[in-house]
Amino acid sequence: MDKRYTLMLLRKMIGEDKHFRPGQWEAIEAIAIKKQRALVVQRTGWGKSLVYFLATKLLREQGSGPTILISPLLSLMRNQIVMAEKIGIRAFTINSANRAAWSAIEAALAKDECDLILISPERLNNAHFIKEVLPKISGRIGLFVVDEAHCISDWGHDFRPDYRRIVRIVQMLPEGVPILGTTATANDRVVEDVKVQLGPGLTVLRGPLARESLRLQNIQLSNQSERLAWLAENLPKFKGSGIVYCLTVADTERVTNWLKQKGFSAEAYHAGNDENLDRPELEQAFLKNEIKILVATVALGMGFDKPDIDFVIHFQRPGSVVAYYQQVGRAGRAVEKSYGILLSGIEDDQIQNYFIESAFPSLQVTQNLLEVLEQSEGLSLYEILAKVNTSKSMAEKALKLLEVDGAVGQTYDKKVLYFRTPNAWHPDIERSNRVQNLRKSELAQMQAYVDHDGCLMQFLLNALDDPHATACGRCANCRGRGLPTEVAQKLVIEAENFLKSDHIVIQPRKQWPVGLFPDQKRNIPLEYKNNAGLSLCYYGDAGWGNLVRSGKYYDNHFSDELVKASVHLICDIWQPDPFPSWVTAIPSTRHPNLVPDFARRLAGHLRVPFYSVIRRIREAPEQKTMQNGFMQARNVINTIQIDQRVSQEPVLLVDDIIDSGWTLTMAGYLLKKQGNGQVYPFTLAQATSRNANG
Amino acid sequence: MTLSPDSQALLLLCSHLGLSSSSENSPLTLKDWNPLAKKLLSISKRPAILLDLNKEELKNMLEITEEEAERIAHLLQRSGSIAIELEHLQSLGIDVLTRADEDYPTRYKERLKDSAPTILFYAGEKALLGQPGVAVVGSRHLDEAGQACAEFVGNACGMSGLVLYSGGAKGVDSISMNAALNSRGTAVGILADSLEKAIRNPENREAIYRGDLCLVTQYSPSAPFSVGTAMGRNKLIYTLADYAIVVASDAEKGGTWAGATEALKSRWLPVFVLYHPDMPKGNKMLIERGAYKFPHPLPNSHQELQTWLEEHSSATIADPCQLSLF
Repeated sequence: MDKRYTLMLLRKMIGEDKHFRPGQWEAIEAIAIKKQRALVVQRTGWGKSLVYFLATKLLREQGSGPTILISPLLSLMRNQIVMAEKIGIRAFTINSANRAAWSAIEAALAKDECDLILISPERLNNAHFIKEVLPKISGRIGLFVVDEAHCISDWGHDFRPDYRRIVRIVQMLPEGVPILGTTATANDRVVEDVKVQLGPGLTVLRGPLARESLRLQNIQLSNQSERLAWLAENLPKFKGSGIVYCLTVADTERVTNWLKQKGFSAEAYHAGNDENLDRPELEQAFLKNEIKILVATVALGMGFDKPDIDFVIHFQRPGSVVAYYQQVGRAGRAVEKSYGILLSGIEDDQIQNYFIESAFPSLQVTQNLLEVLEQSEGLSLYEILAKVNTSKSMAEKALKLLEVDGAVGQTYDKKVLYFRTPNAWHPDIERSNRVQNLRKSELAQMQAYVDHDGCLMQFLLNALDDPHATACGRCANCRGRGLPTEVAQKLVIEAENFLKSDHIVIQPRKQWPVGLFPDQKRNIPLEYKNNAGLSLCYYGDAGWGNLVRSGKYYDNHFSDELVKASVHLICDIWQPDPFPSWVTAIPSTRHPNLVPDFARRLAGHLRVPFYSVIRRIREAPEQKTMQNGFMQARNVINTIQIDQRVSQEPVLLVDDIIDSGWTLTMAGYLLKKQGNGQVYPFTLAQATSRNANG
Repeated sequence: MTLSPDSQALLLLCSHLGLSSSSENSPLTLKDWNPLAKKLLSISKRPAILLDLNKEELKNMLEITEEEAERIAHLLQRSGSIAIELEHLQSLGIDVLTRADEDYPTRYKERLKDSAPTILFYAGEKALLGQPGVAVVGSRHLDEAGQACAEFVGNACGMSGLVLYSGGAKGVDSISMNAALNSRGTAVGILADSLEKAIRNPENREAIYRGDLCLVTQYSPSAPFSVGTAMGRNKLIYTLADYAIVVASDAEKGGTWAGATEALKSRWLPVFVLYHPDMPKGNKMLIERGAYKFPHPLPNSHQELQTWLEEHSSATIADPCQLSLF
């Protein structure tokens, strides 16, 4: 009876001819009828949202309270909400981005007119949520859904500290509240761990993870130029739309520029710092196939559900087999034939190792942070950064971990303040070592996948302990053929030239670091602000990046090739107007002549004079050891001095590598304060590691 | 922390956790809960039993009206959001004690009987609650003699191993408390408001961390200051201590006066009042009503405060009676 009724509901949602997929009814029965705790391990696209919508419906009809769905997703997809509405399920999201809708949602909750509410794990610790939203449902949580439940486990590929909070809450929930955990990517060890943490009564429902339509292939092309060429040559072979995954924001932009130049409909998608990038808009355009290729970082992740993706190509290698399975699994949900191509290159290990090393804040940073907090009643993030030499993102990471550990709390007094709680805190070095080692072994497993000559799908499924794993008969290894693994030399040269001419804009800083000039406004006044500038390349990249590296660390001399490339970039591409009428450079104490020497030669080619007016007045710690804006800016103004006013004419301000940009910002400020003209920053390279993620 | 099912039931019924102030179903007051508690005792049941009952069963077991049963059933449904709020509080360093907990201070049950608060929120060492000690009370504004007295008693407690009990507010409270903590003693602050805020204070935090301080309140940890809560918590200071010393009181008005006269009337413990030529009129009137004199200049030795208090008061204390009430 229940099953027939539920099937009727399911058909209302997705169509009269539809049936339960294997496992769906069992999951619904476990939670909505037997009121059990269940963990569902099913591939993405299997229909877990159907399970929690239908279970919510059944529970609500029994008089239960609304479902709380905890998910790292920002929101439900529009089409899921429409689907739920067909059986009268009213679903809402509360997140920091939809503040304007909160009061309407809270009113709906108060009138019991909300059946499902989606929140992020962070929100469970949010004072407004606890004090205003939760009381509206009078605590009647009908069903507690933990999406991406593998995040609970240290052994998962995507451990999230906030999930530890979920575990503590679940352990305090009374037995009568059903719990549903869902994941598409849990191996046996993760399932066991989740079982231990969510309670022994957990029913595990596991389905086959293979994707019937997906054709996998691995292609090794070490140089970026070869991979760019490969893309240009092979992308036209796909009829439909697809995703090209990159590891860094910079790479998504570069690949996009190349593809656009080659006439493709491509857009970059990432969570980096770009005001012009509207992610929901890009998602919509991609869903409607108005964009053919989305070049994305992992920011295009969980929950993005487009059924007709023809291909997922990895420009760089992900850090784990599980992450790869998840990303490549976005292809072919509702198309007969789809492709998952993994390109890998020489830079991959370097980027992945950076990710691994920066995954946890160091003990030193964490302890410094606690010490600073212990001396106060509460500090804002910026007040902390003025006292602790660490990057903003690292400080945020450390604060998040400390919050989950109960050592730090948040309060709000016009701005968010962090404070030390009276709870004891002990560093869990074992845990961070364990996670780091796990990441390293995942990386090794990923490399094994790249080198694997047997069935690729089977390799992925074995890694996920899928008992149903067999050879797929579709991948390039099973079939003995696939897309070409070599590219036309002409195209490679073209890509190389593209990389060499691909320059990077230096956006001038608009605001001082918080607290640097406490008595001034945050905005840098126009008269002290730099103009936009350019960098020749990304440090260490193919193209010019390797020349910059060897110039800086081996030869102590930047080659004439770099001078010529810079001249070409400045005169033929950039053409700043008004053109700079003199050049100056930022000297370093360790290599006092390296940059001025380069700048002098550059000035000669530009046919303008070089004046050495910036002087180091004292030995300064290397700028790259300064971990945040406040420290960096202070380090600059404390150690450099502008000797004289040269001219009110515009100046080209040269440095070798730009990282956070504070050196150039502060030097430009000092130049202009001396009465000099407009400042155009120019650097040979832009550092990439710090904004690699996102 | 694991919550016993009895405590879970009490929290659901009697605390504001997971309820908005505008909620139709307000938590049970002491007056609402006590008859139910007695009913449960009379049929040899514990509060946990309520967790598994539906409206009809609640109505029959507790012999209450339909509306009352509905209210209780509704309150009992919020276990989900209480779990979330408790997790949040614990991550800030705040825990709960209910009248059904073994660790709930016996003195409250003995002295306050069924007006002992059902729920206490606390941060710090709960074992301090009800240890031998001296309560210091008085208005926020102190003259020189008052300040010296507050400091003396604080130091004396610290040096002789007595717990210093106070209201954790400014003035006499913080002076005596800091004196106790600075002389390596222990203290309990019984707050009328803002427990969440009080534990952010670095000195409090450190003392809690060392295990020397417990801050406790019967009100919501985020409750703002109000005159009502300040009055309501006064008796919770007196009823934890062995002796009370009133440093300064207004006459016939104000919280200190109300609290002290109540303590004198209830005979929970010997009440002393600071006695000197320039003392406030309230002090004098409290002595007229039976409070003992605490002289200024003060007794000589810090170490002997307890002996001195014992010698200068007679056993006028009401018989404690232990109630097994939850």
